[in-house]
Amino acid sequence: MRRRRRFLDLTFWGLALLAFVCIALPSLSIVGSVIHQAVPVLGWSLFTQRTNALGIENAILGSLLLLVGVLVVAGTIGVAGGVYLAEFAPARLQRFLRFFSDVLAGMPSIVVGYIGYVTLVVAFHWGFSLLAAVVALSVLVLPYIVKTTEVSFRQVPTTLREAAAGLGLPRSKTVWRILLPPAASGVISGLIVALAISTGELAPLLFTAGFSDQNPTLQLLHHQVPYLTSVTFTDLALPGARAHATAAAAAAVSLAIVVILIAAGRLMTVRARRATRGMAL
Amino acid sequence: MTELPSIRVGPSRSPASGPQEDKLPSSEPSVSDPAEVEATHGPSVFRVENLFFYYGDHLALRDITLDIRPREITSLIGPSGCGKTTFIRCLNRLNDLIPGTRLEGRVEFDGESLYGPDVRAIELRRRIGMVFQKPNPFPKSIYENVALAPRMNRMKGNLDDVVEESLVRAALWDEVKDKLRASAFSLSGGQQQRLCIARAIAVRPEVILMDEPCSALDPVATFRIEELMEDLKNDYTIVIVTHNMQQAARVSDRTAFFTVDTSQGGRTGVMVEIGATSKIFTAPSDQRTEDYITGRFG
Ligand SMILES: Nc1ncnc2c1ncn2[C@@H]1O[C@H](COP(=O)(O)OP(=O)(O)OP(=O)(O)O)[C@@H](O)[C@H]1O
Ligand SMILES: [Mg+2]
Repeated sequence: MRRRRRFLDLTFWGLALLAFVCIALPSLSIVGSVIHQAVPVLGWSLFTQRTNALGIENAILGSLLLLVGVLVVAGTIGVAGGVYLAEFAPARLQRFLRFFSDVLAGMPSIVVGYIGYVTLVVAFHWGFSLLAAVVALSVLVLPYIVKTTEVSFRQVPTTLREAAAGLGLPRSKTVWRILLPPAASGVISGLIVALAISTGELAPLLFTAGFSDQNPTLQLLHHQVPYLTSVTFTDLALPGARAHATAAAAAAVSLAIVVILIAAGRLMTVRARRATRGMAL
Repeated sequence: MTELPSIRVGPSRSPASGPQEDKLPSSEPSVSDPAEVEATHGPSVFRVENLFFYYGDHLALRDITLDIRPREITSLIGPSGCGKTTFIRCLNRLNDLIPGTRLEGRVEFDGESLYGPDVRAIELRRRIGMVFQKPNPFPKSIYENVALAPRMNRMKGNLDDVVEESLVRAALWDEVKDKLRASAFSLSGGQQQRLCIARAIAVRPEVILMDEPCSALDPVATFRIEELMEDLKNDYTIVIVTHNMQQAARVSDRTAFFTVDTSQGGRTGVMVEIGATSKIFTAPSDQRTEDYITGRFG
């Protein structure tokens, strides 16, 4: 009997280890090979030269700018929408919005890009531009932010809402001061994942951002925006080892951005959790 | 089923014309004459008339009529599921938070309709504090738990003083005065419940509603909270739901007995009788009350 249990125990651990290896090995090998391929161009000039001079400075700045844009646009709309769904919306509207959100979530990114092109770039005469790109990316990640925000707020126990209502606190203040702190870690994780997705997206940007060898500006309209995934995409198609190395370098920087985002998110969620430690959730 | 007379204030009746509550013959329902009540206690804080409460289609409370008098402790007792929680949450409109609920009848607070069309539930709830069955402090510091609502409601006065005063009042100050910035979750269950009481009195309500405040506490913590209620009674009107009959007998001035009625199909909460606690526990006028308090029921 005991031996049997020990055996089961070991098998379980073995399987868990195997699963871990299955996940960790490919990711590590991808990271490793990307960095390895980027080695020829890794150097200071990568970050100080623009794409017309074998650097990727403009693409890095453009990608970061897009992230800030997504955080502002999708972040505010998505969090507000999630809070509205969880705390304020009447049941019928909830069902409608959730359906709408699910449809949006299921939309292939290339379709989002194409619709963005037809409407924003062409019909609205925005041209390939920062705003068009940010809107297209935002539409793509919005459902994700809405969902994680809604779920995070729903997980906050009702007893806190009742306690706040019992004290005569208005709903808005209850959401902001009482419910947000315990929901924050979930909301932040959602935002981080949304930003990580944005960092890796190419399809919606192909149709909306354009590209430029210049560093991006804060001009919202009619100015094309360079970004990292475009460098990876186009340079891979070019002949020559140097171009391939640049493509790998752009991919490596994208990866680095994602890693930094996740680390920053972890840090923030840990802090947020510490504030609500001990609460029975 | 015993017919409960609804309470009507007869302005022309003098206090003397009403029968003395404690001398009512036990066959009579023990709702005392309102004019007499008014003379000795001032006007009722709550006056509930013919209240029906629905969760969707489910009738949870049928035809409840009672009054809650100022600066008294009124306890609500009765078997599980008879609607005590539902009832007490009607008194501060907390059931508004539950979708699909409906209330019929009249609830007056301080002489005005609680469910009137232009009553703002939020402002009302500042005047009616609530303590819940399970302690539910906010995930914030001890200080912040008490200070939050007064600050948001822009109450006058020094916040530190309000916090200290409320914690002293809730008999918690000595235990927490050196760690006001610590998380509320670092307190024991009984301390947390007293913190919730402090939080409730910090907004200076007129009434405190307590839904089984001691059910998660040990006898010592329970005793402290009972002492506290005795003290709070001087300034506040208290309504307490309790499963603990000794507690009801110990602390309350009046007791209302609720039960589950199945005679009209479905399980519906009804109030059997309300009266002086001493009377309810020694000479109840309804057989069901007697069965319950002598332990012959559920
Ligand atoms: N949120 C709700 N939705 C639907 N029905 C409810 C809800 N809350 C309570 N009820 C029903 O209303 C009736 C009364 O419940 P309530 O909680 O008021 O009883 P109680 O007297 O407080 O019981 P206990 O002593 O166990 O706390 C029960 O039949 C219960 O199933
Ligand atoms: Mg209850």
